[in-house]
Amino acid sequence: MSVENVCGSTHCITCGDDGEPMTVIAVDEQRGLALCEAEGGQRHSVETALVGPLTGGDRLLVHAGTAIATLAEGPVK
Amino acid sequence: MKFVDEFRDAELGRAVAAEILSRVEPGRHYKFMEVCGGHTHSIYKYGVDDLLPANVELVHGPGCPVCVIPMGRVDDGIALAHIDGVIFSCFGDMMRVPGSEGSLLEAKAAGADVRMVYSPLDALRIAKQNPDREVIFFAIGFETTAPSTALTLRRARAEKVTNFSCMCNHVTIVPPLRALLESPDLRLDGFIGPGHVSTIVGARPFEFIPAGYGRPVVIAGFEPLDILQAISMILRQLQAGRCEVENQYTRVVPYDGNLRALQVMSEVFELRPHFEWRGLGFISHSGLRLSDAYADLDAERRFSVPGVRVADPKACQCGEVLKGVIKPWECKVFGTACTPERPIGTCMVSSEGACAAYYNFGRFAREREVV
Repeated sequence: MSVENVCGSTHCITCGDDGEPMTVIAVDEQRGLALCEAEGGQRHSVETALVGPLTGGDRLLVHAGTAIATLAEGPVK
Repeated sequence: MKFVDEFRDAELGRAVAAEILSRVEPGRHYKFMEVCGGHTHSIYKYGVDDLLPANVELVHGPGCPVCVIPMGRVDDGIALAHIDGVIFSCFGDMMRVPGSEGSLLEAKAAGADVRMVYSPLDALRIAKQNPDREVIFFAIGFETTAPSTALTLRRARAEKVTNFSCMCNHVTIVPPLRALLESPDLRLDGFIGPGHVSTIVGARPFEFIPAGYGRPVVIAGFEPLDILQAISMILRQLQAGRCEVENQYTRVVPYDGNLRALQVMSEVFELRPHFEWRGLGFISHSGLRLSDAYADLDAERRFSVPGVRVADPKACQCGEVLKGVIKPWECKVFGTACTPERPIGTCMVSSEGACAAYYNFGRFAREREVV
């Protein structure tokens, strides 16, 4: 995802106190990072120090490049 | 899309709207503040207020970090950006915030090396790629964003990146809420609490609102159904004579917050004695600066910063908008002298600012109302 898409004319993920759901593709435990995929298929390197431990397929809420929460499995209430 | 589609279901939205209608007391006017700029954006984007009864009014709060940055801090950032050899990095919306003599975008046009980043980690990456340049990250945001900055500074320390520093403008949400509640010209019946700030700090910090000021708080997610449900929950509390903090956004927000985030924030930051908020003035213990342990990564200590206080433009009524005293369209320059293309006030800069959100989405609805 380009910065222009994130902070475009209709939305800014940082200023909007926003969180983007992403799926963990691979975990780099040593560096505290995970390669994650956003809903649109774009991949990002995400800071994981606030969540975890993680495995591939976990769902995260990502804000400004940092995972701030893990998203629960199962039906949404 | 999971976690999104379920909360944009039109049929469910109409059902919750009917529930809201059934809970309002005829003849009573309800005024609820959505604290967060993300909520403001969603309300206008999805027309949430069009689904509400006429006697339920939403007031936009101070929860857009760009909107509360005072001009003096922008000027300080621009001064840093003009230092020889500096790469100045910041989030997208920050680039267009007007200082007293222009914005960071204009500074870039004038030759300063200003770069837009998506995360503090991107700024650190720029520093590692440019070891012969000083890279400054202009950090803004509430408690949602502050841990990201803190982790990046800790990473910079661990990786011995010495050409990276941070100009910290992080703010905390509770002090301005307390200031608003103390304000005599504001009457509110309840609060829609900030969803992602609460992911970090939890629900507990908001307990002073029902306990000390007798107003319910419902922490809410950002989809239209989240906001409608939160309004219904506030009304249910008022109807039942209850007054407490409730969490609508349980799929993400733990009541005690994210303890790892709170720990790293307390390691890297400390509270400033006071910090200036645009339109709200100086508020005690409302801003963060780097702790002494991270002094070497503090751009304000590494470089000389002018630190001059600049008064807001007279024509701009961002302060009243931020306090919810006036609606965006009631500002004298809204949509005429002040537009998203040429903003005078910060509320028109960020797409999460009440003025820009209303300009982009809500004004069409208002035109319909007028007709």
